Amino acid sequence: MHRQDSPMKVSTNQAGILLALVVAVCAGCGTTPPASFRANLVEATKQRLTPDQERQVATILLAMFGTPDDPVALPETGLDEAKLKLCAGPVRSDIVGRKNGLYREHCAHCHGISGDGMGPTAAFLNPYPRDYRPGVFKFKSTERADKPTHGDLVRILHNGIPGTSMPSFALLSAVQVEALVEYVKYLSIRGETELALVRQYFELDDDAQGKLPETREFLVDEVLTPIAERWNGAADARIAVPEMPADIDMMASIAKGRELFYGDKANCVKCHGVTALGDGQANDYDDWNKAIVEWRKEVGGDKDSDWVSKANRVLAGDALRPRTIPPRNLRHGIYRGGRRPLDLYYRIHAGINGAPMPAAKGTVDPQDIWHIVNYIRSLPYEFDGELGVDRPMVAKDRF
Amino acid sequence: MTSRSLNWTHLVACLLVGVTAVLLSFGALVTTYEAAMAVPDWPATYGHNMFLFPWAEWLYGPWDLFLEHGHRLLGAAAGMVTLVLAAVSWRSDIRPAVRWLALAAVGLVILQGALGGARVLLDDKTIAKVHACTGPLFFAVAVAIATLSRRPAAAAAGSLARLPVALLVAAYLQLVAGAQLRHLDATVDPSTFHTLVGLHILGAVAVTVLSVVSAVVVSENGSPAARGWSRGIVVLVAVQMLLGAGAWMANWGLPSGLLPESWQWSEPLRARSLGNAAVVTGHVVLGMLILAATVVLAIEAGAIGGAQAGREAGDGLASGRVFA
Ligand code: HEC
Ligand code: HEC
Repeated sequence: MHRQDSPMKVSTNQAGILLALVVAVCAGCGTTPPASFRANLVEATKQRLTPDQERQVATILLAMFGTPDDPVALPETGLDEAKLKLCAGPVRSDIVGRKNGLYREHCAHCHGISGDGMGPTAAFLNPYPRDYRPGVFKFKSTERADKPTHGDLVRILHNGIPGTSMPSFALLSAVQVEALVEYVKYLSIRGETELALVRQYFELDDDAQGKLPETREFLVDEVLTPIAERWNGAADARIAVPEMPADIDMMASIAKGRELFYGDKANCVKCHGVTALGDGQANDYDDWNKAIVEWRKEVGGDKDSDWVSKANRVLAGDALRPRTIPPRNLRHGIYRGGRRPLDLYYRIHAGINGAPMPAAKGTVDPQDIWHIVNYIRSLPYEFDGELGVDRPMVAKDRF
Repeated sequence: MTSRSLNWTHLVACLLVGVTAVLLSFGALVTTYEAAMAVPDWPATYGHNMFLFPWAEWLYGPWDLFLEHGHRLLGAAAGMVTLVLAAVSWRSDIRPAVRWLALAAVGLVILQGALGGARVLLDDKTIAKVHACTGPLFFAVAVAIATLSRRPAAAAAGSLARLPVALLVAAYLQLVAGAQLRHLDATVDPSTFHTLVGLHILGAVAVTVLSVVSAVVVSENGSPAARGWSRGIVVLVAVQMLLGAGAWMANWGLPSGLLPESWQWSEPLRARSLGNAAVVTGHVVLGMLILAATVVLAIEAGAIGGAQAGREAGDGLASGRVFA
């Protein structure tokens, strides 16, 4: 009995599938090609790599990191390949609703398949989505030049970045957020490795004949490991924050903070302006945009016309129009890196990596940073009568 | 016999419009939640015959599975209703426009099902885009059949008819442009996306202008029904503009640079929130409803099927015995 009806069922299924495929072909759509990582052509062109050298970099990266559909994590990276697989590839889910392809579902249209910050929507967004490839992150609990900790990235995904288009992913499950954080690290480590490789050609001696050695010692020990170590050591680079005294006199602290804000040492006023409306020096770029601005100048002054035309092509197709980053208007009370006093402490202590905002570490002592934090937190209400410790300082709690 | 007085073609066509509206809404949700690949096989569902897939697992299982499998069941239902409609209209309805449209609907629904299948089997975004454009086309045909089969068509109103047809075409093209934005391939470069957004905004302007001009012209010399529909469309288009702006903001926030900084929200955007999904999906569904309304308007204004049907059906229509 069974034997009799199953061939029937299969054949209707097959007929359906056949019809579907015929229609697909008739609709004139060859299948969309599998996703691939985009080469960092800006850096490759800047370093004047030959096409052969560009191909060598691509081959090495393929071997070390795989593809967007099939990522590879060498043990030296410390990355968890199972988590990466959850994020990689096209979006799909299984019968219990476990979703794969998380990065392409939630992030790639802004941050790009390669994490280059050049997803389709990028040009419309201000600030531009982060380009992970230089491995520079802004909002974190570590010293300025250090990597964010795992927890920092989880926090960013959970809270989003208010005042920008970076959304909060608080509605995703913890497992998904964990996996996405791992994938961000993967794209960063991959991007940093690519940058390191591209810059290595400049250091080659004549014997190398313009080719990087494809040995484990060079690729893994010399290039990859130092990058991965900085990621895996991020937790050790956390900023030591002194307790804010519990019995602090808030009015006095704010007054002290104000003095520091306008003083020569902290000199916040230089950028954030005398009114703190962010109207001080406002024509500066962040590192990502500055790299393009400076390279544009370099291209403009170059004599080699072949290279110049290639560079112009790359600038048009692989870079976004540079935008300045204005200092924050501190009277809005919108903080991208989080609005806890502790977040502001981190921001002021370490500055904002990748942005012009400098670190106060070294010039302002730790207790004084708390005073500045208190002053910053009072700024949205400065004209709002006297401010007492008994009145909440966050607008949301007040009204 | 009662069946003599019942207009079966119209009834079945109305059922088809209803089923299709729900079907398209499910389709829009499938795209919003990126649930298209929640069922990897086709036409089976996880190895089960689609109709025999356990109900409990469908209704109480994962959300994505609920959407995708529900979309398939509704698609099958729409297909069956379409077949019935074709049979009924060929048996009883003497107006060629209705008959041929019903036949076209059969062709479209088969094509659409096959496209849906191909989209899943090949996991191909290009096919997904085509699938998203054929859906509203089918809906438009269903609405046309329902309208044409309702009652004797008005005589054609000459040049008046051209505007509603232009509006209909614009409304459809606008859905096509919207589908390109919705099924955004992450490998597309920013400049392509820029162009698509530009087209969609241009389309919005075109639809708005055409709907207003149609309403003005129709209100001067159209039938009362046409007047009502043309005004309704203007209202729907206005709401649609708001939803469109909402859809933008749900995905990308306030257009910074265009608005004062003090307008920035202090709260971040929330990916996958119910509100966002409702606004974005609502924008798609309303777009399809606007298309449907423009189809009705074009017919009421006499642009489609009017003159021809009027001539051929002649006295039969007037005496009300056509549907026997
Ligand atoms: C709508 C566009 C958009 C989407 C979607 C988006 N981001 Fe972002 N993301 C941004 C923007 C814009 C910034 C830069 C904000 C800034 O520089 O202040 C950013 C910044 C970041 C940063 C850097 C934070 C820092 O401390 O420097 C990380 C990490 C990040 N995004 C991860 C993700 C992940 C993971 C996803 C997907 C789950 C995602 N983003 C989805 C727009 C987006
Ligand atoms: C060289 C210019 C410059 C100086 C000096 C400067 N800032 Fe900034 N600041 C910026 C810029 C630019 C940003 C925006 C960075 C971004 O969005 O990535 C910023 C952002 C901020 C933010 C917002 C952080 C957030 O999470 O959104 C705070 C708070 C801040 N600065 C406080 C200060 C304080 C306090 C000082 C003095 C100790 C100071 N800044 C000195 C340029 C400066």
